[in-house]
Amino acid sequence: MRHSYTRAVRMAGVVAAAALLAAACSSSKKASSNGGGTSGGGSPTNTLASQCGTSDPITLTVGLFGTFGFKEAGLYNAYHQLCPNITIKEDDVEQSADYWTKLKTRLASGSGLDDVQGIEIGFVADVEQNHADQFVNFSSLPETAQLKSTFYDWKWNLATSHDGKTVGLGTDIGPEAICYRSDLYKQAGLPYQPDQVAAKLTTWNDFINFGKQYEASSSKEANSHFVDSAASIFSTAVYQGNEAYNKADGTPDVENSDGVKNAWQYATQAAQAKITAGLQQFSDQWNKAFQSGAFATIACPAWMAGYIKGQAGDAYKGKWNIAPVLPGGATNWGGSWVGVPTSAKHKEAGIKFVEWVTAPAQQETWFTKVGNFPSSKTADQSPSIQNHMDTYFSNAPSGKIFTDIAGKMKIPPIGLYDTQIQNAFTTQLTNVETRGTSPEKAFNDALKAIQQVTG
Amino acid sequence: MTLTTTTTPGDTTQPVSPGRAAARRRRRRIRPGGRAAYAYVAPFFIVFAAFSLYPWINTAWVSLHDVRLTTYNKQKWVGFANYHNLFTNDFFWNAFKNTITIGIISTVPQLCMALGIAHLLNYRLRGRTFFRISLLMPYATSLAAATVIFVQLFNKDTGFINWFLHGIFRLPLIDWQNNKWASQIAVSSIVTWRWTGYNALIYLAAMQTIDNTLYEAAAIDGASRWKQFLHVTIPGIRPTIIFTIIVSTIGATQLFGEPLLYEPQGLPIGGTGRQYQTLGLLMYEQGWTNDRLGLASATAWTMFVIIVIAVLINLWLARRREKWTGSRNVIPVTAIERQEAAT
Amino acid sequence: MTATTVEARRAAPAQRKRNAKGHVGGRSMKAGWVTYLIIAIVTLVSVWPLYYTIVMSSHTNAELNAKTPPLLPTGSVWHNIKEALNTAPMTQGLINSVIVSTCVTIGTVAFCTLAGFAFAKLRFRFSAALLAFTIGTMMVPMQMGIIPLYMLMAKWHLVGHLQSVILPTLVTAFGVFFMRQYIATAVPDELVEAAFVDGASTFRIFLAVVVPAARPAMAVLAMLTFLMSWNDFFWPIIALNSQNPTVQVAFQGLAKGYAPQQSIIMAGILYGTIPVLIVFALLGRQIVGGIMQGAIKG
Repeated sequence: MRHSYTRAVRMAGVVAAAALLAAACSSSKKASSNGGGTSGGGSPTNTLASQCGTSDPITLTVGLFGTFGFKEAGLYNAYHQLCPNITIKEDDVEQSADYWTKLKTRLASGSGLDDVQGIEIGFVADVEQNHADQFVNFSSLPETAQLKSTFYDWKWNLATSHDGKTVGLGTDIGPEAICYRSDLYKQAGLPYQPDQVAAKLTTWNDFINFGKQYEASSSKEANSHFVDSAASIFSTAVYQGNEAYNKADGTPDVENSDGVKNAWQYATQAAQAKITAGLQQFSDQWNKAFQSGAFATIACPAWMAGYIKGQAGDAYKGKWNIAPVLPGGATNWGGSWVGVPTSAKHKEAGIKFVEWVTAPAQQETWFTKVGNFPSSKTADQSPSIQNHMDTYFSNAPSGKIFTDIAGKMKIPPIGLYDTQIQNAFTTQLTNVETRGTSPEKAFNDALKAIQQVTG
Repeated sequence: MTLTTTTTPGDTTQPVSPGRAAARRRRRRIRPGGRAAYAYVAPFFIVFAAFSLYPWINTAWVSLHDVRLTTYNKQKWVGFANYHNLFTNDFFWNAFKNTITIGIISTVPQLCMALGIAHLLNYRLRGRTFFRISLLMPYATSLAAATVIFVQLFNKDTGFINWFLHGIFRLPLIDWQNNKWASQIAVSSIVTWRWTGYNALIYLAAMQTIDNTLYEAAAIDGASRWKQFLHVTIPGIRPTIIFTIIVSTIGATQLFGEPLLYEPQGLPIGGTGRQYQTLGLLMYEQGWTNDRLGLASATAWTMFVIIVIAVLINLWLARRREKWTGSRNVIPVTAIERQEAAT
Repeated sequence: MTATTVEARRAAPAQRKRNAKGHVGGRSMKAGWVTYLIIAIVTLVSVWPLYYTIVMSSHTNAELNAKTPPLLPTGSVWHNIKEALNTAPMTQGLINSVIVSTCVTIGTVAFCTLAGFAFAKLRFRFSAALLAFTIGTMMVPMQMGIIPLYMLMAKWHLVGHLQSVILPTLVTAFGVFFMRQYIATAVPDELVEAAFVDGASTFRIFLAVVVPAARPAMAVLAMLTFLMSWNDFFWPIIALNSQNPTVQVAFQGLAKGYAPQQSIIMAGILYGTIPVLIVFALLGRQIVGGIMQGAIKG
């Protein structure tokens, strides 16, 4: 027995020595290959390390939900060309709600996080209020000023906590315009060219009046209404006030909010004037309505254009158009960021990737390939976006339209429960539209539901 | 394995001294058991203790706190405030009532149909295996895909069901989403579709234990197929029926997948008026959508109490039913009794 | 005379006794056309959504939204399945799901049959209380337990590994309860006692008496457990990553962009479901057909 023990120890020693030798050899090999390299500038390994965050061959894990489109835009391959030592593996959860549950669980336990994590506008307030310490602070890096200058200010600020910690860099945004069926407007005898329409829809009152005209038209399409839902009016208008669902310090405040008051008023007015189709957004019926013409108008963030194209199909190409206006003023729907958890296995590499993928050049690429609208104001000024015409939407200059709106946006303070509060209101608006619930009762029911959320 | 026709304690073929016989009697128990039995149930309890007990207890603990997943490490003790919130909460009582009504509509017809289908599949059929496999198709079909189809079927204006009812039977167009009873029937039909085959398969397996000679004996006595079903099949699988009643009651009380996906926007509110929000959905909404883990945990434990009561009620009803119909186990089903009856 | 009648009955099982009304009994009954009709309707209703999944996976969103939606699949199914395979790690998900579901099934059937036998046929102290406790564990909704369970798995460094998905469902109260009820009916007490009196050990009784009698139930439990494990998604999404997914987790990678194509998603779901059906179809004869001819009594 003692013999086998000694033998084992000897074997272990040999193995260990061999390992050390191999390690020394490989590193010295690297050194020797670098040694004879270029005189000026760093060795290839050092460039790799500074550009990619590391020169070691690693797998970078990127945790995202459905809407990013990095892979489809070919960005992972492009990055691999740039940093051949880095292989990117995407970790997907389709619905952002499920993704957020998974992210919260991992943040709570402090383990299992990916190197890069996507953050959606629905929960960015939560991340920067409750988890800013668990993410790399992009406001504390040497390159911060340079990074910050490429993004819209409001986009940068949404991901920044009160004490100045920025949890992620912006990917896409959703500046809103009005998408409409120009053929249905024409059929109803209303002005249908984008600029004419824009002139008619400058305020919500104008919008509602225009809608009434549409409904009253004798030649309009049967079973067609002006707008898809009161909810879409509400969700747009609520962000056009000084407050939406929160006070300036981020605490929820619904009853004193001017945004909520005005939005509710316009939405219920529209519902009671019966200019809405009473549909629930993203439901099966709503998807079908893009073809059936059940509604002719919709508040349209930049990403909705691609959605409409997918649901309506080629048969409706050229029948849709984009009016360069948003009643009540410029605002935003949707958008995301990407951040790097401080517990990431490859933090430096993660930071470098995030900075690269949100750089203006890459944002242009994904707009062109996938249609997500850049949050980089630098990218938005580029010719490829400024001159972009959407052939599906009757050659509307969508790049310019959405860029103009993006530049004018003011976003009220966001808070922890915005998504749930909004759902409470939009649910009740559907009741006003389809069940004849009175606006007062609907508002109170919404408040009751909100109480359950805020506690 | 040979069957001995009679077993009386102390029956041996060899004469033994009285002392030895007594000793053997003492050693022998009527049924096997003893400490070895614990080894058989140990795997279940070990796995349970490791992976379910701790979460179980943790859920109870969390229900006494105000906890959000996003601030998980900052739990605030609130005692029974969550439970108090629940019981004074309209949403809870609404969900409670909905759970009862949806539970009954989705469970009772389902189990009856499952029994009937299993009985039919027990016959000599061509393609028996194919039909039996197809029983599991609904359970194997992705619930998300299936619900898309059902939502379309139940659409008020364009759905097949309204086309059928309105077009053929001249019924008014039923709003299967907004109308409370219609929506609950729609959700129940999805549940029934999904789980009938599942239960039918369980009954079918149980029916294999019923001796065929019993059917033949009943047939000789002049029993129609229906009578055979009532007096041979059902009593013969009583323990399994009780099992499915208990399991279905538990499933009905915890129901959440089908009503979640039936909602047009996939929100866990059970319709814009919460007309089909079940307790399971409410718990999901509280815990995951609203991030109120303490409240959701309180709902979970309240559901536990409700389930226990519901199961006890169902068992009591099952006992009463058999008292009324008198179909207590008069048909000999154990092999011994059969043998004795045959001789 | 009795003997010959009995032997005649045994020798010619096809010969069925008919009573005056012409009714026959039980499993040897031939099904009438009413039976076939009912079964056909039930089968159609059961299979329709699966069929429609195939239809949905061969049409674009726009085609599915048309006023008259399509009812027949087209050849693009194959293209879409290939698309789905390129988009998400479907094959790896399939393999992992097979591993997970098989382990869970074997574990569940083995452990639950043992425990079910113990509760049904063995006598030991507290058996009633333990059984009630076991059934009681089914009654607590485990959804809220996901968070502490995740933290447990994180502590044991099992997050992202298949064990984190296999271990928690290795034994279910459902299985124990199910086997207990079945064994209570299928295995006569006297049989067990007789074997015990004859000197067989408890385990031998289990293997030689109980298991053969319980095979139909074990088969059913195996199928149900396999499917349940295959379809489980809430916990696997939390515990696993796209790097090491089960098939339900792999589905998550199919919906791309703001306007996901339903056809790709459905094609992926098909890819993830059809193998299960094929396995059941192939093994079905074995499991369902053969064993369910009826355990021969006596």
